[in-house]
Amino acid sequence: MFFTQLAWPCREHTLLFSFRRSHNAMVVYKVLLLGRTMASISAVTRFDFLVIGGGSGGLAGARRAAELGAKTAVIEGKKLGGTCVSISVVMWNTAVHAEYLHDHEDYGFEGSHTKFNWQTIKSKRDAYVKRLNNIYQSNLDRAKIESIHGHAVFTNDAEPTVMVNGKRYTAPHILIATGGRPSIVSDSEVPGANLGITSDGMCAPYTSLPMLISDDVLPPHIIVGMCAPYTSLPTLISDDVLPPHIIVGMCAPYTSLPMLISDDVLPLPHCCLLLIDSPPLLLPQGVKQDQRKHIVADEFQNTSRPGIYALGDVCGKALLTPVAIAAGRKLAHRLFEGKQDSKLEYRNIPTVVFSHPPIGTVGLTEAEAIKAHGKENVKIYTTAFTPMYYAMTARKSQCVMKLVCVGREEKVVGLHMQGPGCDEMLQGFAVAVQMGATKADFDRTVAIHPTSAEELVTMR
Amino acid sequence: MRILKPAECWTPKLRVRSFGNNNMAALCKGARRFKRIIFCHSLVRGFSGKYEYDIVVIGGGSGGLACAKEAAQYGKKVAVLDYVDPSPKGTKWGLGGTCVNVGCIPKKLMHQSALLGGALKDAAKYGWNVPHQPSHCWATMSLAVQNYVKSLNWGHRVQLQDRKVKYFNLKGQLTDGHTVIGTNKSGKETVLTTQDIVIATGSRPKYPVHVSLTRAVAQYLFLFFSEIQWSVDYDHPLHPFPHLLISGCLHPGWIIRNPNTPHFFCQHPQVPGAVEHGISSDDIFWMKESPGKTLVVGASYVGLECAGFLTGIGLDVTVLVRSLALRGFDQQMAGLVTEHMDSHGTKFLWRRVPRKVEKLPSGSLQVTWVETSSDREEQDTFDTVLWAVGRAPVTRALNLDAAGVKLDEDTGKIIVSANEETSVPHVFAMGDVAKGRPELTPPSIRAGRLLARRLAGVSTEIMDYDNVPTTVFTPLEYSCVGLSEAEARRLYREGGIEVYHAFYKPLEFAVAQRDSSQCYIKAVCLRDGDQRILGLHFTGPNAGEVMQGFALGVRCGATYSHLMNTVGIHPTCAEELTKLHISKRSGLDATVTGC
Repeated sequence: MFFTQLAWPCREHTLLFSFRRSHNAMVVYKVLLLGRTMASISAVTRFDFLVIGGGSGGLAGARRAAELGAKTAVIEGKKLGGTCVSISVVMWNTAVHAEYLHDHEDYGFEGSHTKFNWQTIKSKRDAYVKRLNNIYQSNLDRAKIESIHGHAVFTNDAEPTVMVNGKRYTAPHILIATGGRPSIVSDSEVPGANLGITSDGMCAPYTSLPMLISDDVLPPHIIVGMCAPYTSLPTLISDDVLPPHIIVGMCAPYTSLPMLISDDVLPLPHCCLLLIDSPPLLLPQGVKQDQRKHIVADEFQNTSRPGIYALGDVCGKALLTPVAIAAGRKLAHRLFEGKQDSKLEYRNIPTVVFSHPPIGTVGLTEAEAIKAHGKENVKIYTTAFTPMYYAMTARKSQCVMKLVCVGREEKVVGLHMQGPGCDEMLQGFAVAVQMGATKADFDRTVAIHPTSAEELVTMR
Repeated sequence: MRILKPAECWTPKLRVRSFGNNNMAALCKGARRFKRIIFCHSLVRGFSGKYEYDIVVIGGGSGGLACAKEAAQYGKKVAVLDYVDPSPKGTKWGLGGTCVNVGCIPKKLMHQSALLGGALKDAAKYGWNVPHQPSHCWATMSLAVQNYVKSLNWGHRVQLQDRKVKYFNLKGQLTDGHTVIGTNKSGKETVLTTQDIVIATGSRPKYPVHVSLTRAVAQYLFLFFSEIQWSVDYDHPLHPFPHLLISGCLHPGWIIRNPNTPHFFCQHPQVPGAVEHGISSDDIFWMKESPGKTLVVGASYVGLECAGFLTGIGLDVTVLVRSLALRGFDQQMAGLVTEHMDSHGTKFLWRRVPRKVEKLPSGSLQVTWVETSSDREEQDTFDTVLWAVGRAPVTRALNLDAAGVKLDEDTGKIIVSANEETSVPHVFAMGDVAKGRPELTPPSIRAGRLLARRLAGVSTEIMDYDNVPTTVFTPLEYSCVGLSEAEARRLYREGGIEVYHAFYKPLEFAVAQRDSSQCYIKAVCLRDGDQRILGLHFTGPNAGEVMQGFALGVRCGATYSHLMNTVGIHPTCAEELTKLHISKRSGLDATVTGC
């Protein structure tokens, strides 16, 4: 028998939520004040490329621009690395271990009764994140990119100018990549919302929601709603592919929060995780925003104001680290290498949800394909199997896969799967889908035995 | 009287017939049988006007079964003959061939077991209180593995039945292009006539045999006896007389002609005790007790995978290497794989060749080897000696000479054309036993299916053996597709290629504070034009799962820019492939940092 328990830190976290909110607001207010009073006094420092936000996308763009010879600076108010790093995905791996621990006895290991210690993982994660923050700093230094610490505010100058700690900076090209934070649901919108913490407070990003649902770490009833854009995920993967229990909490709109929280329906959770999409914090002037306060940027990352660009979570589109990185690099190539058509292809962006087991998806869903190409032109291949890993274990889990093909040549326009290892499997297939691979190409590819991925090239 | 030559050369009785008094008896027996065969033959043809079967497949491994099942689906009448000769240690198994019983499947499960051992160590760093160092129980693991393998054996039987494929537990041999004789354990023969024959008998591990021959003597013997049927049981693993002149697996002619063998012979002139006291990959997965302290001889992928999982479950393992590890693979990657193993407890002894294996009164095995550069002898004691010195095709019992099927002199494999046909019409060969084919399950399965479709007349597609991806399940997995860097340099010259590479850190290693200095990716591309990818190489966790999709991309003709234009999946190891931007030529630091 295994005794896997979680020492869950209880209600302290609920306090954290309200503290954060007021703290952030104060900081922003102070910076604004400073900006107004000192704007006219200081001289302007000029760069070729000014990046606001030292997250994944901003750093990638800055580094690429510097490599291409542009004089570049990055402004970051907190730690370098952004959400992806600072609130990293480490936690997911912890829960993976939780799963494996169940199987040790089946695989011949004895005496591995284990408990989970939140503090250990928290300190490990913090150490790792700190190391990464330092690496980012030294990367910037090595690339001769100036890093400016502080909150950036746009001034009212005719030329787009940014004020940080009383100093003014400008550049012909300014990139806004300030990312997003978990947005806060007020008590008036959702009664009981302030009982929750956000993923920032939890020290893990949205990826940890599915982790929570994994019953090894938390009882499955501690679930919260998640609103756009992640609501589209379950439909992406489409109902017939997903075992419903995995995603239950994810598609619940946040209006159902009170219901979840009230103990009539579910036992009162210890802690509630609010995962709602992230509106931008920085509000530059002359730059259009949509009604969700996301900056409107075209496919070349241009905003409505020339010389100002935006990418990543501030645009509210495909909020994924690699998307931001790729967009940042493409932009740098366009601005500083003269590659006029350098832009990120937002079609066929492979996405993984680090649930347990993970979900991988790229391209169109079955429904989207039918809508675009007509039912008679869409052919679906599916498979479901138990990965060989579970051959030895009492605990079993399924792996499900689906190919969406269109036309007579059966071009693969969508690939969706869930199962252990699907996170690592997807990338290569995304290359092939992007290249326009057909089902025949899949068939012609020799399998790698024994893997789960081989099932994708042996579907019939 | 050509038909007499090989008749039943695998039975010990006939082995000495060329030398002694049994000659006449053998001739007589052969002659009687010859008549019987002809009779059956004509009888069947006379009655039906055609053959009993459309296709007879000899060998129930991955390729053979795939071919048989596919052909049956297209309405062909198919029979499969499968017979497992026990290993010298007496290990036997069921239907499904090497992959299922003594290859991929048990290997990966034991590899998985070793990975879980590593995960336990990491778990503490991930916040789990692991009370005391857990121990590993071999019997629990091997029982679970064996039960799973047995379920697969059964599954194959059921599948054959479902598809109406006739299964015979018989050892097959050919008499001509349309007749197969199956012999059962007790020597009873069954004659099958068929339109087409598919040979898919695979290969078995070699032993460094106890041969007290110098090369010159072997050559002499071969010339002397070449006119006589050489009846030595050269690939029969269960040789009852290992002390005879030639024991185990070698035909003198083969010794001379095989480019590897003379080499092998010069350096391993003899290894007394190898067969009596050693085991091979045929045995390791079916052992009931832990192998204990183990010596693995040979650094082929079989050797390294076994050494890897044995180390991983906590055993003391030493690998004896003559020259190269993972011959045929990219040597830079091979170096990383062995370096990783070395730093995780597997001991490597390079440039050593074994001399002898002796059993001590205590029951442990004393192995003596020689350091090739200094000729210094060294020895140590082990509980188990595992030979991983290569594999030999199983052709001996097939009576191929009689049917006129030509073998490659160097490798002993069957010579085949692009459509798997041998030198005899209607006789096909595929998988490990066919010359120039990758010794891997998936290409065999696919080749088998395509062959079945061609035989059924529903397709003309032939198997494309280029760009076959494969994974070595060493503790740090290594997966590749396409050319190695050295091959690419040879084919496209130094200036023709561009190699992009990266040393990356898997996220799961970071918190566990595992060393990631061998986690490496290499893309070998053409330098000109759109930089088509010639080869991809990856070491790291889940290498097989990562590589499959890229193998599809390479098959579709992926270029370096295709890689770059694909958005990464964060955070995965696979995304590092889409971020490769440092070329080897530039000399820049290829270490990846950050998100």
